[in-house]
Formats: sequence, structure tokens, C-alpha cells
Amino acid sequence: MKFLCVSCDEAMKLIRTDPPERGSLTVVYQCPKCASEFAMLTNPYETQVVGSLGVKVDANGGAGESKCPFTGVVQELGAGAAGELDGLSWTPEASSSLLNIPEFARPMAKTGIEKFATERGFAQIDEQVLAEARSFFGM
Amino acid sequence: MKGYHDIAGDGGSAILEQVEAQQARIAQSLSGVRSLVAVGSGKGGVGKSTLTMQLACALRARGQAVSILDADLNGPSQARLGGLRDGLLVPGVAGAAVPRTQGGIGVVSMGALVPEPRAVEFESVADGSSHTWWATREFTTLRELLAGMDWGELDYLLVDLPPGVERTAQYAELLGPAAVFVLVAIPSDLARGVVARSVDALDKTPNRVLGYVQNMDGYYCSDCGQVKPLFPTQAEVELSLPCLGRVPFDPELAALCDRGGSLSDSPALPSWQPIQHIAEQLLPTCSEARVGSEERT
Repeated sequence: MKFLCVSCDEAMKLIRTDPPERGSLTVVYQCPKCASEFAMLTNPYETQVVGSLGVKVDANGGAGESKCPFTGVVQELGAGAAGELDGLSWTPEASSSLLNIPEFARPMAKTGIEKFATERGFAQIDEQVLAEARSFFGM
Repeated sequence: MKGYHDIAGDGGSAILEQVEAQQARIAQSLSGVRSLVAVGSGKGGVGKSTLTMQLACALRARGQAVSILDADLNGPSQARLGGLRDGLLVPGVAGAAVPRTQGGIGVVSMGALVPEPRAVEFESVADGSSHTWWATREFTTLRELLAGMDWGELDYLLVDLPPGVERTAQYAELLGPAAVFVLVAIPSDLARGVVARSVDALDKTPNRVLGYVQNMDGYYCSDCGQVKPLFPTQAEVELSLPCLGRVPFDPELAALCDRGGSLSDSPALPSWQPIQHIAEQLLPTCSEARVGSEERT
């Protein structure tokens, strides 16, 4: 979808995206010539269809954060183990290695690794724990 | 006044570019895969998943490096078939490390991430309208799995497809022209009629269909050691494809699958020999060129 400033016959630029509110996304465009702004307000169905493409609508060309599509399931699984996972910490290296997991599955992977570490008595998740998990699952 | 095609870009959100970038990541992620084989049917309940796993076992027994992607996100079964129901994703070198069965077969399945009996559920801001976006979300998730797993060097990546004639053709688009298809039928015109539709749908794609497997081709009776008819009549619907092999229904194989076992560990079962025969016919598809390379296209 593209937007045109009719007065200036100029393509408008995306300058800001506000976080979704009750399923509606606010996307603000500006005409680079006359600086007039307008906001596109999506309905929840439009928001969902675009989100289902796995893309992010923001002024950074998709560099922002997106949400896990399985949040409902993950929250429930995480809540069940919340007591056991208290006190677990991640080293910065281990935490940044989670970026190697597909984004939609990161929360599930994090919960699973924490459960694995807890069951084996680790207080901190580092590369040794990750290596042990990889070995345990034959990776 | 300018029209759509007079304007370069989309003003900054770069949605098209994001989708194209994801396709590029998939090509990179599959660059070590020599043969991409999709196992489909169009019909449900014909044994696609079981055959996929046992074919993987037969290929593995021949020294091939094999992984399976369970493309059935809503009814995943490969995690159970591979004994990996408690599998988890751990960071690897170039993506998420692929969990492996005891026999060394890589398995990526939603069944390892979302425990039974939970249904896979996508987050939505548009409750009550999932029919409008669910399929898009599914294919996006599969693209993310293809792009985000550390598949490494593989002789075979088998893709276990969900049922649905239109889906079978859509997976051909998703996986690209290098993917070859094996279809699974059973000796019933009801099922073969649907498989014939899948053949017709795949005819419109550039993908090669190697042939079909006649599954549940009789019932193996362990009391008398004979294979008896399972379906009452001879099927009349012709499938214009080579038959790669005929596999009898065997309750012991069903029990083995429920336990996450492999036929290669139970070679006396009557289905092992025909599955090995089918696997041998897949061996020539394993090209020296990789899936994403220009040599393949």
C-alpha cells in the first residue's frame, strides 16, 4: 500500500507507528514536500492480516520487535513453572544466543531451556547449559 | 496524478522487502540440503506421517543424513513418531539446533513445542475471524522454521505435509521448484480420487512428482503371516504416476509408531522391506547440487 499527497502529487513517507490499541494500529505518514500528516488507523482484521505475513509495520522497515504468535500457549506453560524458574539468570552470551532461534519460537525455547536447567539444578544459564541441552537432544 | 507504479517503495514500511528477505534467508538456510522431498497426499489419514518417518529411518539406515520438517502445524505428529515430544529448541550456530531422534534423524515439529493435548493457537487481535488470516500465519510460521533452523549439511530434508489438495500445491510454491513430491494413497477410490486431484494440482507447478506409495495395501495378519485384503473392492481410480511401493497395514507398526520407535530397529516387521524399496527409489533424487543453487533450476 502506498500513499500519495494529492495536493503535491508526492509519495508520502511513513514517519511513525504507534503500538496497537485494541487491535488497531496507527500509522502516521507525512508528505515530504508540504509536511502535512495523516494517520492510517487499521481495524483489527487488517492488523491481523498484515501481522500474519510475519512483517512489522514501522518506520525502520521492520527492524522493530514483533510478538510471539503463540503467546497464549506460552504464557500458560510459563505460569505453570513460574515458581521453579524463580532465581534463574542468563549470562549475556547465552541470552544473546537466543537470537538464533526463530523469533516466534523464542519464548517457548526460553521456557524450555529454563525448565531443562531447573531440573538439573543449574542456577544460571550459560553456554555449558546450552551445550548440555544440545547434547541431551542429540543436536 | 501519480499512480501506484509511479512511486518507488512503499513509504518506509518495506513490507515487500521484508518478505523477500525472508525468502533469501530460506535459500541460505537450505543451502546445505541436497534433496528436498515433500510427502503429501491431499487426503488425510492415509499414513503420510508414518511413512515419512519410516522412510527417513530407511534412508538413515543407508547412511544418509536426514531431517524431517513437520509441516502439519495443527496436527503435528513427527515429534511423537520420533520420540521427541519433550524436545526443545536450543540455539545452534546458524539458527536453532535441530533436535534428533535416537537414530540420528533431525525432527522439527510443533508437537515438540506445544504439548499434547493443546491445540496450536496463534495470537490474534481479531478474535472470531481466524478463517481470514490463519493460512497466511501458518505459511509464515513454516517460512520462519525453514529460514531459522540450523539444517546443516543434509542428504534429505523430508517435509511431512498436512492434508488438502490446494495445500499440496501451495507447498510446492513455498518449497520451490527443487522440491520433489511423493504422494500417499490407499486402495480406496474415495482416497485415490482425492490423490488424483493432488496430481492434477501439482501438474500445474514446475515440481516433479516421483510417484505414489500405496499404503495400507492389505492387512498383515500376525497369526497366519499372510497379507489379507483391507478394502473390499479393487480400486478403479487410476493414478497417472509410478507406484513406488506397496506397504501393508501392520498393527505392530502402529504400536511402534505410538512409542516413537523405528522400523530399522524392528526389521522383521513386514512393512520394513517395502519401505526400504521405496527409499532406494529416492536415492537418485539426491543431487550433488544443493537445493538453493542455480545448478538445480
